[in-house]
Amino acid sequence: MKDYRFIGKSTPRKDALDIVTGRTKFINDLTIPNMLYGKVLRSPLPHALIKSIDTTEAMRLQGVKAVLTYKDVPDWKAGFPHHVRILDSKVRYVGEGVALVAAETEDIAEEALRLIKVEYEPLPAVYDVEESIKPDAPQLYDQFPGNVFPQDNVVFGPHTLNEVVIGDIEKGFEEADFIVEGTYAYENIPNPLPPESPGVIALWEGTDNLTVWLASQGPQIFKAAFQRRMGNINLQSLGNPVGGSYGSKYMSWQYALPAVALSKATGKPVKFCYGKAEHLAAFTLRLGSRIHGKVGMKKDGTVTALSGDWLVNSGSFSEATQGMVAVGCGEAQLMLRCKNWSFIPKMVCTNRTASGQVRGFGGQELKCALTPILTMGMEKADVDPVDFFKKNYVKAGDGFYWRDGDWWVCRGIDYSNAINQGAETFGWKEKWKGWLKPTSVNGAKYRGVGVGVHGNADAGEDVSEVYVRLEPNGSAIIHCGIAEHGTGQRSSICKMVAEVLQLPLDRVYVTPTDSLVNPIEIGPVGSRGTYAIGGAVIAAAEDAKRQLFELMAPKFKVKPEDLETEDGMVYVKGKPDKRIPWIKEMQYYGSIMGHGRFESDFSIPNFMMIFTEVEVDTETGKVDLIRVVGTTDVGQVIDPLSLTNQLNGCLGSAGIDSAIFEETVLDTRLGRIMNCNMIDYKWRTFSELPEMEHSILETPFPTHRFHAIGVGEITPSPGPSAVLMAVSNAIGVRIHDYPLTPDKVLSALGKIGSPMRRE
Amino acid sequence: MTLTLEKSSHSTLTLTVNGEKHSFMLGEGPHEVASSHTLAHTLRERLGLTGTKISCDNGACGCCTVLINGKAVQSCMLLTVECEEKEITTIEGLGDPVTNVIDPLQQSFIDHTAFQCGFCTPGIIMSAKALLNENPSPTRDEVKEALSGNFCRCISHYHVLDAVMAAAKKGGNQ
Amino acid sequence: MKLFAHVNAYSVDETIKLLAKYEGTAKLNAGGTDLLGVLKNRILPNYPEVIINIKSIPGLNTIEEDEEGINIGTLTTLADIIASPVIEKNYSLLKEAAGTVASPQIRNIATIGGNLCQDTRCWYYRYPDEVGGMIKCFRKGGKTCPAVSGENQYHAIMGAKKCFAVCPSDTAIALIALGATLTIAGAEGTRTLPVEEFYTPLGSVLNSGEMIAAIYIPKPSSVAGQRFLKFTLRKPIDFAIVSVASIITHDQGVCFDARIVLGAVAPTPVRALKAEEFLKGKELSEEIAAEAAGLAMAEAKPLSKNAYKLEIAKTLVKRLVMGLT
Ligand SMILES: Cc1cc2nc3c(=O)[nH]c(=O)nc-3n(C[C@@H](O)[C@@H](O)[C@H](O)COP(=O)(O)OP(=O)(O)OC[C@H]3O[C@@H](n4cnc5c(N)ncnc54)[C@H](O)[C@@H]3O)c2cc1C
Ligand code: SF4
Ligand code: FES
Ligand code: FES
Repeated sequence: MKDYRFIGKSTPRKDALDIVTGRTKFINDLTIPNMLYGKVLRSPLPHALIKSIDTTEAMRLQGVKAVLTYKDVPDWKAGFPHHVRILDSKVRYVGEGVALVAAETEDIAEEALRLIKVEYEPLPAVYDVEESIKPDAPQLYDQFPGNVFPQDNVVFGPHTLNEVVIGDIEKGFEEADFIVEGTYAYENIPNPLPPESPGVIALWEGTDNLTVWLASQGPQIFKAAFQRRMGNINLQSLGNPVGGSYGSKYMSWQYALPAVALSKATGKPVKFCYGKAEHLAAFTLRLGSRIHGKVGMKKDGTVTALSGDWLVNSGSFSEATQGMVAVGCGEAQLMLRCKNWSFIPKMVCTNRTASGQVRGFGGQELKCALTPILTMGMEKADVDPVDFFKKNYVKAGDGFYWRDGDWWVCRGIDYSNAINQGAETFGWKEKWKGWLKPTSVNGAKYRGVGVGVHGNADAGEDVSEVYVRLEPNGSAIIHCGIAEHGTGQRSSICKMVAEVLQLPLDRVYVTPTDSLVNPIEIGPVGSRGTYAIGGAVIAAAEDAKRQLFELMAPKFKVKPEDLETEDGMVYVKGKPDKRIPWIKEMQYYGSIMGHGRFESDFSIPNFMMIFTEVEVDTETGKVDLIRVVGTTDVGQVIDPLSLTNQLNGCLGSAGIDSAIFEETVLDTRLGRIMNCNMIDYKWRTFSELPEMEHSILETPFPTHRFHAIGVGEITPSPGPSAVLMAVSNAIGVRIHDYPLTPDKVLSALGKIGSPMRRE
Repeated sequence: MTLTLEKSSHSTLTLTVNGEKHSFMLGEGPHEVASSHTLAHTLRERLGLTGTKISCDNGACGCCTVLINGKAVQSCMLLTVECEEKEITTIEGLGDPVTNVIDPLQQSFIDHTAFQCGFCTPGIIMSAKALLNENPSPTRDEVKEALSGNFCRCISHYHVLDAVMAAAKKGGNQ
Repeated sequence: MKLFAHVNAYSVDETIKLLAKYEGTAKLNAGGTDLLGVLKNRILPNYPEVIINIKSIPGLNTIEEDEEGINIGTLTTLADIIASPVIEKNYSLLKEAAGTVASPQIRNIATIGGNLCQDTRCWYYRYPDEVGGMIKCFRKGGKTCPAVSGENQYHAIMGAKKCFAVCPSDTAIALIALGATLTIAGAEGTRTLPVEEFYTPLGSVLNSGEMIAAIYIPKPSSVAGQRFLKFTLRKPIDFAIVSVASIITHDQGVCFDARIVLGAVAPTPVRALKAEEFLKGKELSEEIAAEAAGLAMAEAKPLSKNAYKLEIAKTLVKRLVMGLT
């Protein structure tokens, strides 16, 4: 392995000092002169028509600057296909906006909300995905008959993947030694719950100038999506450090558009930040996912056929459901080398707060429901799940349909080594006692182990464009619109440039996440930061270096290729003694602009496997997570501590714990989310940390100069199904109802009757 | 929103934050402190000390943790008017105000990249600071206990524990 | 938070006078860790007009010991209770209970009096006004209880008639097991009341003109074993799904006295009188413990989603009797 100066070494995050001193300015830490505060009046009903709405009294309250209803908000539409208005004459979930207020203080805005009088005509509501597609179900949208969203070509192009149909499914089942069939679901709709609630400041000036300060993982996506829809205005999007996102703050229109509308109405900057209750009850959750599936298998664990109906509950609208379904369908193929498929998704709307994108992007939701069907087969064939996953995970030369609908052939590496090393680290051989057999028993406490797998071919998704500007004083500035949301990617790209240009790390900077300064950047999503953004960054740095050497070569009387640079000086390869600083040729007024561009490449899937050990108290039904081992191969570690942070993240952001205690509790008579506070919504604390270990391999990938690939997005996704497997093994009964709260465990053990379905 | 009741028992208020005294008029105006304001709100909106974060605003996440007379408390669960005559320390008050050298605990967080998004970090540092003040060489379990009221959704816990333990080992609490 | 007038009280007498003056429109603020949540989410139909700060009353945050017991001022914080050597030595049950409350930060400001008087955590009751409006259920003067046929996984499994919310206080069951009494101050002077008699299905016997001034705990026999078990999904932050406090005295395995109190199973803390009676004179064994657990929960009638609480309650009682965790 090459020994780099920065790559692979732990270096402090560039923003570390600001973070530990509290100087980092998150969106709610900003104040702009004359700023107003926005608030939303939220619907008490899950489905209703607004009969009348009277804002007179609210308008009269001193300090109120604007009150908007569906009658006076701009008609910008969002979602896929464009169908969500800022405010509508119909409400489709409890918590949906009914009116917007801008006022001088938050308190005044809040009081004003209470003065708005609304008359509703209640409509029947529907929450269950299968109820919703019945002919007599209440209809949410005129344009989506049967409550089914169409696939949308805007998402990933004209052939956006909307099913997996490969080979001959009948033949596949005929070839099988046996067939297993069942319905499994991942419908506890957990909330990724970043600590910072969604927030924005918007300033609309004159007729067509809009500035937005966004807490968003992809602030420029807002611009890309809405500039045209708003009438080709001048739109500047500014990204602030993001207080956690896990995907959920990527599509920021849900919180940005109300603020923009209020600013447009008042001509003043408007800050609009969700409160935590709003965040938990009226912001996006994970997709609901239910699969009626059938798997044909051979005795050796070869899967000959997979058919299924994937019912996707998107809640009240589709933020990006079509995209998540497309990626989920792709990811199913990565985990399963099967020749015959007939896997058909259906995207359904229901009367609860919508599902949006979350780390795992459709794939986690799919895996959580699909894996239990596969494990039935594995159990029947009596194959070890680790062997099964090893055999079935995509290998170089295997083909798969990816989200764009194209057939891609894997150019990646074989992850078998990572699997072997992970199993070794975990002690799988010793702990695995066979299906439905505990690893150990101590009184009422039963331990069991389980394993899950996930991977994504999006690590090389989409275009990224970057400029690297060399300054005469021997520093480099990266013009890249990447937002920092916790992965440390803004620092990591500095390391890449520092390495290419051999500059001290503190001489490399990234421009603010400002659309006026940077080329368009879709953002660090889908683990694309390392390969896609990194690829563009490296190319730009190399381009800048080439230009620098062209400029300096005459001075040394050599060819540009013969030059080398270090710490802002140039020298001839092999003759480091004679060095000339950049400034000598660049002059103090000159700069060099290198350009780099990355083009989509879906041929290199990444990989994550999670091993879990749980302990189940069979008298109380409590499940404790004892140990977690993650294994992956990243080609080349860029920053070890940032990587382990991301790997540890498997516990958070509605990951592993969505199998243990995380859930959004929806009362389906009222349409209300009952646990919309941080006591009743369960998250992992410092007191419940399992032992955590990772095995990280570095097998060079054919990606870029550093042969690395990103994995941050996928770390939580293999976990939930691994926990189901572990608990089933511990208690000797198959159990599959996420999350495995004591009621479900005790019921599986036959100690109590079956608790009623939650949804 | 005028109150028909008689005035509160005081009309001005003085807070001691990070060693400095700040006086406010009581009221609802833009620069005043209202009786219903929480300390977190006052620190952020009146004193510009935005290092203290608000997440749950309900006592459940610890993002708003500050020290009062050296003890970790959640500033979203305190009324500002009840914080007079107390020594309030926020994240901005750590480190040496003269040399600008940060607290060794903060340095240890930097060295261990003991954060991801960093939103929870000030609150976690303040809780850890309170612990080290009382117990300069805690066990890992004692650190977990002291931080058990602090939410971190990125799961930076493991690095945080390393950072606090390393700071303690270095006697990071002078 | 919506505005209110704020006054500092400097004595118990003054507090009582202020309460009388504002006639039910005032609320006492001790640590505020419960009250501020109630106010922020605007969950009650009537918002208080005045908040009376009682932390300004001197002398109410002390723990005083005499021959017969200890007197704990209502303003004593849970952190101080945990740190008290006296409590650790003779009243460890209270220390354990207080130690399971919330988080270190909360315990630094939360008071014991506030812990006893805190409002219920039923999530219908606590539903925040800002997301579609608060829920006016039976306990707030409404006609129905949405929990009965709704998301009642944390609700009462016994003893409830119209409101199925449980009493969330962890220290209450410890204090009842310890036989503690309250000193309650009111317009007519002070009265004392066993903690056991304090709670009613919809709250407590405290009227709007009264306050708790202190808690007195008689010294338990030094041979009595004190134990507290609380079942939660997570150690910090969570309220009890079931909690149990007990004082059991036995001699060479034969029980001669037992007090067992359950929390979070009913609208009020519940003494397991039948189980206590049954245990007396019995040699403690797994079977006896299980039988006692069955007796303790004999009257339980779980709702649609909380049968699991019954299992857990039985397990906890059994483990408590057996000295297990
Ligand atoms: C995140 C979180 C987790 C929690 N977990 C737990 C838990 O696990 N177990 C538990 O028991 N509690 C828990 N609580 C509740 C917690 O608020 C109480 O435990 C705390 O002790 C209340 O004390 P306080 O002084 O803050 O009460 P306050 O909020 O000041 O008062 C609570 C109520 O009591 C009244 N009151 C206060 N003092 C008196 C008095 N002397 N006389 C008459 N009335 C009075 C007030 O008017 C108010 O209505 C939790 C709270 C939070 C925020
Ligand atoms: S249990 Fe009580 S507090 Fe809860 S909804 Fe029913 S009546 Fe209201
Ligand atoms: S913001 Fe104060 S505890 Fe969460
Ligand atoms: S670092 Fe993001 S929540 Fe802790």
